[in-house]
Amino acid sequence: MSLPRIVCPHNQHLLRTFSGQSVAVRVDHWEKAAEAADDVCSSGNELFCVIVDTTAPLDEIVLPDDWKQIPLAIMVPTIGKFRNLTAKLKAWRDFNLRVFLGCDDASNRAALRILSSLGIQTCAVFGSGKDDWEALSDLMTYAVLGQLPHASIDPFSFIATNYQPNAWVDWGALYFDDPKHFLHLDDQGRVALSRAARERGDFVAQSLAECGAAAELPAIKHRKRTFMQYFLDNHACSFCPGWKLCLGRFSASVPQDNGCSGFFLEMIDVSRQFKRLNVMPQDKQVWRP
Amino acid sequence: MSWENLIYIADFLERSGERHVSLLGGEPTLHPEVVDFILYLVARNFVVTVFTNGILSPARLQEFKTHFADAEVEQLSFVCNLNDPVLTPASPGETERINTFLSILGPWVTPGFNIYRTDFTLDFLFECINRYGLRRHLRLGITHPIPGKGNLFIRPLEMRQVCRRLYSYREKFDAFRVKPGLDCGFPICQFSDEELGWLRRLGLSQFSCSAAIDITPDMSVYHCFPLSNYRRKSLFEFDSMAQIHEHFVRIKDQIKVEIAGIYPECDGCNYQEDGICGGGGLCQVLLRFVDEASVRLPEIEHELAKNRLST
Repeated sequence: MSLPRIVCPHNQHLLRTFSGQSVAVRVDHWEKAAEAADDVCSSGNELFCVIVDTTAPLDEIVLPDDWKQIPLAIMVPTIGKFRNLTAKLKAWRDFNLRVFLGCDDASNRAALRILSSLGIQTCAVFGSGKDDWEALSDLMTYAVLGQLPHASIDPFSFIATNYQPNAWVDWGALYFDDPKHFLHLDDQGRVALSRAARERGDFVAQSLAECGAAAELPAIKHRKRTFMQYFLDNHACSFCPGWKLCLGRFSASVPQDNGCSGFFLEMIDVSRQFKRLNVMPQDKQVWRP
Repeated sequence: MSWENLIYIADFLERSGERHVSLLGGEPTLHPEVVDFILYLVARNFVVTVFTNGILSPARLQEFKTHFADAEVEQLSFVCNLNDPVLTPASPGETERINTFLSILGPWVTPGFNIYRTDFTLDFLFECINRYGLRRHLRLGITHPIPGKGNLFIRPLEMRQVCRRLYSYREKFDAFRVKPGLDCGFPICQFSDEELGWLRRLGLSQFSCSAAIDITPDMSVYHCFPLSNYRRKSLFEFDSMAQIHEHFVRIKDQIKVEIAGIYPECDGCNYQEDGICGGGGLCQVLLRFVDEASVRLPEIEHELAKNRLST
C-alpha cells in the first residue's frame, strides 16, 4: 500500500531522501513557491501543492502569470485591504489556488464571502475557541445555499457536497490534518500525523522508510480509532447530534456548550437542503461499454 | 452598510438581472469603506453611480483619485448635486473642496440640481460643466414633500412656473450641448407643446413616477426617499427585484385608486392612463391624503397614522 501524501518543508536535501511520493511542500513566503514546486518535481516526486503559510496579508502577495499551473494553498492571517487586491483577483480566478483564512473576527468572515463571491476558492479555519458560531452559521449558509453561484468556501461546501444521511463526513484532509491522506515531515524527516503533532514534536517514526505500509502503522491505526474513546468516556460530544460532521474535532479547543453543537446541527439541516435542491433528474441511460 | 449586506444586495440584484446600482446617503463618500465597496461592485460588473455633494476630505479625494482614475466612465460615475452659489452659497471651505473634486473627477461627474424654488438659476451649472469637463447631462430633480415632515418643496400650483423657467434656459442647454434629465414628478400637462417638442427632440418622453427602490443599511426597502417612512419592508421578504417592483406598484395603484394625481384633472387623463405621465410624484399625491378628509382605504389610513404622516 502506498503512503499518504507527504507534507514537508521546502528543503532540497529532505526532498531527495524519498521519491515517487505526492508532496505538499511548505514555504513561509510566497516568493519561494515556484522554486519549491520545481524542487519537488526535480526530486522525483509529484507536486500535490505548495502550502504558502505566511504572516503577510493576502494583498501583499504577487502571483506571476506563469504560476497558474502551480496548485497553491495560501494561508494568510487577513486579506489586507480590498482596494489593493481588486486588480489581482481577476487574474487569480485562473490560478489553481485556495485561500485559507481564520474565522475568529468579523472582517475575515466578510473576506471569505468577498473572495468567494469574486470567484476565489477559500477555506475557513475555525475551532480556535474564540469562534462566533452564529456568525459562522451565517457564513456556512451563504457558502452552501447562497443565491448565486460562487466559489466554494470549504469546509462548508465540501461537507454539504459529501453529506450522507447515514455516514460521517471527515473533512480534516482539507487542512492537511488526516493521517489517512497526509503525513507531516519536519526538517529532519521525522514523521508526525498532523501539523499540530509535528509542532509539538510528537513523531510516530524517525523517517518515512520506517513507516512501511502506512495503513499498518500502529499510530495511524490508533488515530483512526480515537473516535471510540469519546463513546467509551461518555464524552458530551458522543451524544451530540452534530457528531457525524464534527467527529469531536473541537472537543479540546472549544469550551463545552458554546454553540458548536447548534452550528453542526444547522450544518446538517443546510446540507440536507442542499442535497434536496441539487437532486438532478435521472438522465436516460444509454449503454456504454 | 456591512460587507455581508452589500454582498447579499449584489447577489440579489445580479440574480434579478439588475446591473445598475446607485450609492446614496446621507453622504456615501463618508462611509469608511466606500472605496472598497465601489471597487467591489465594479469587480462584480455592476454599473455604479455614486450620489455625492462633492465635499470630500483631501484624504478621501486622494483615495478616489488613486483608485478610480482608470475607471471606465460607462461603469462608474458620480452625480454631484450642486447648489446655486448666490442663492444658497456653500462655505468657502466647502466650495474649495467641491471644486477640487470636480477638477479631479470631472469626466466621471454628472451635475445634479434640486429645484426647490421657482426663481432658480442654472447659469452656474453650465459654467461648471465647461470649466471642469463634466458630463453633458444635467440631472434635474424637484424637491418633493416628505409626508408628515413639513419640508420645503415645489407645490403643484408652482409646477408651471418651474417648467417655464426651465425652458427659459433652452438656449443655454442647446449652446452648451447639455441634455436635461428630469427626475420623477414633472407632470406633462405643465409643459407647453413647444416645450414638450424641445424635450422630445432631446429624447425625453416619460413623465412618470416609478419606484426608485431604496435599500437601507438595515436592509429595509422603500419606494423612494420622500416615501421612506411609508410601508417599508425588509429586503429579506423578497426573492427578486421584480417582486419588490410588484409590491410598490400595488401600493401605488392602491393610492391612485383614491387620488389619481396631484391635480383634479389627473383623474381620467389620457397621458396617465397610457403610462406617459405619473400625475406628479406619488409623495405629492400622498400628501393630499394627509391634508384631506379620511375617505381612503383603511389600509392607507392605518399606515399614515402608524408613521405619523397625518400631522
